[in-house]
Amino acid sequence: MNLFQFLLRIHTSNHYLVRNRACLISALVICLLCLITEVRADSHYEIVTYRGVSQKVISVNSLRSIFSMHLKTWPDGTKIRVFVLPDEDHLHQSVAKEKLNVFPYQLRSAWDRIVYSGTGQAPNKVNSIEEMRAMVANTPGAIGYLWRANIDENVNVLEIK
Amino acid sequence: MTKWLTLSFCVGCFFTAHAQEASKVQKQPEFIKSPIQWLQTSELPAESTVSTDTKKQPGWIGSTLDWFRTSNLPGDLQFHGFASQAYITTSDNDVFGNSDNGGSFGLTEAGLNASMRPLPRLQVSAQVLSRRAGEGNSGMPRLDYGFMDYRIYSHEVNQFGIRVGRLKNPFGFYNDTRDVAHTRPGILLPQSIYFDRVRNISLSGDSVQLYGEAAVSNWGTVSTQFGAFLPIVNDKDTELALIGALRPGHLDRDVSYIGRGIFETNDKRLRLAVSGIWLNTSYDPQLRSGDLIGPGALQFTPVYFSAQYNAERWSLTSEYAIRHFKYNNNFGTPGLNNLDFFGESYYFQGEYRFTPKWEGIVRYDAYFANRSDRDGSDFARLTGAPAHGRYARDIMVGLRWNVTPQFMLRAEYHHVNGTGWLSRLDNPASEGPLEKNWDLYAIQASFRF
Repeated sequence: MNLFQFLLRIHTSNHYLVRNRACLISALVICLLCLITEVRADSHYEIVTYRGVSQKVISVNSLRSIFSMHLKTWPDGTKIRVFVLPDEDHLHQSVAKEKLNVFPYQLRSAWDRIVYSGTGQAPNKVNSIEEMRAMVANTPGAIGYLWRANIDENVNVLEIK
Repeated sequence: MTKWLTLSFCVGCFFTAHAQEASKVQKQPEFIKSPIQWLQTSELPAESTVSTDTKKQPGWIGSTLDWFRTSNLPGDLQFHGFASQAYITTSDNDVFGNSDNGGSFGLTEAGLNASMRPLPRLQVSAQVLSRRAGEGNSGMPRLDYGFMDYRIYSHEVNQFGIRVGRLKNPFGFYNDTRDVAHTRPGILLPQSIYFDRVRNISLSGDSVQLYGEAAVSNWGTVSTQFGAFLPIVNDKDTELALIGALRPGHLDRDVSYIGRGIFETNDKRLRLAVSGIWLNTSYDPQLRSGDLIGPGALQFTPVYFSAQYNAERWSLTSEYAIRHFKYNNNFGTPGLNNLDFFGESYYFQGEYRFTPKWEGIVRYDAYFANRSDRDGSDFARLTGAPAHGRYARDIMVGLRWNVTPQFMLRAEYHHVNGTGWLSRLDNPASEGPLEKNWDLYAIQASFRF
């Protein structure tokens, strides 16, 4: 009797297993897809400039110098105007860590050091992607960053060498 | 198997949630604030005027600040400022007011600065600072800095320029912005290096400075500053510290020099700095009032070595200073004539960021007025004054809460052995002897924009 019940249980659990295997596989596929989307989302942004900026290619070091607010002029002598999203913004953090290779808190302390000693200016803060796009498209000398999906012909994409 | 299934579903949900968050950032039309609407209204999606913003509505201060930030002011004009209030209580001895008797709200700092770039290579900046801290600082607003900065050469990472006016003295990691609570590690800076007792002399001076920045192969950058300046020595604190008593005459401003070089790796993880000051001043006695000391001159030449390592969650910082004092023989008093000694200071500090909002800090800070008399015993034997006035060892722990990017609260505790860096103005002899071992508790609220 006991043995029979046991066998029955094994049988039913096997039955569930087969049914659940499909679920398991689809769950794994969903996971993987999400993972891929996530990875892709991170490389899915670009450094963008005002359309009138003549520089099209830039080195990582110069880019870091610009976002640290040390390099203040484009090679043609015009003013650089830096636009950034809030420190806690996902895109800002990705750009800081992946493109500039610094932690967002280090950018913040570098800005504080120059702003409160008068040796530099703070970047212009925007509160949303839409505002970023509008400001970079309309401010001469502007530099910022955008998700690729938000990039249109009103801004230039800066290539990093 | 069921466990596995549940687990993989959880993981799946986690990633889905993450991906959604990312796509939210990407696609969610956000509420566009009015100042930029005039810029490009036609280009924005129609739904952008519908408020989907769930953030709390900013008050009038917030809106004003937003206006400053988002409006295109002429010449890239910017305004920034800060205001902090601390409450300090000590077991014994006074720090910024009568702190050992129920505590005091004696430390208030506020500043407002403006900067603009009339030309691409020219920046003009000025800051007004008010600091109320014990007897030494009344809170009277003063010009903290005000200068012109012209960038002579600029190519990629390499920069070279000149600054003329009243400038912050560049030494150590923290002196340039020492009055801005947000930029300080703790309510009190390590007092062995950044004395609050004699701060004016080290704070800023009227000067001409050259600065440069250069790439060091592919490792990082070196930035240097070097200048000649006239120190600000016309205050009681400085006079007490340098000539030991308040005299009827005054200290003169003689040409002095300052320089700093900082090496920073490209990822800003490692920062190393060397700074030095060559400070010259001389005493102008008022002989008619029966001044007891003569027209002596003195040289104060501290050298600072600084190092910092920054990881994502933690930072380690250490600074060391060796301070050389040299007096000539024109003071006419044996206590000052031909004085020549080295002071020594250092601290080790660890900061940990639990979350972006919560940070913890620990520090050990040591000060020795004379490195060849670290326990002050020689000094005590010669003068009869207590030995603990010649050193201070300070152990500190603190917690910082960044409530918003603008507003910060923090608390800290110090246990101090020695009274070396206490202000003599706040602790006059008339209030009785100082206590060798003492504790300090402090809390602070700070706002900046």
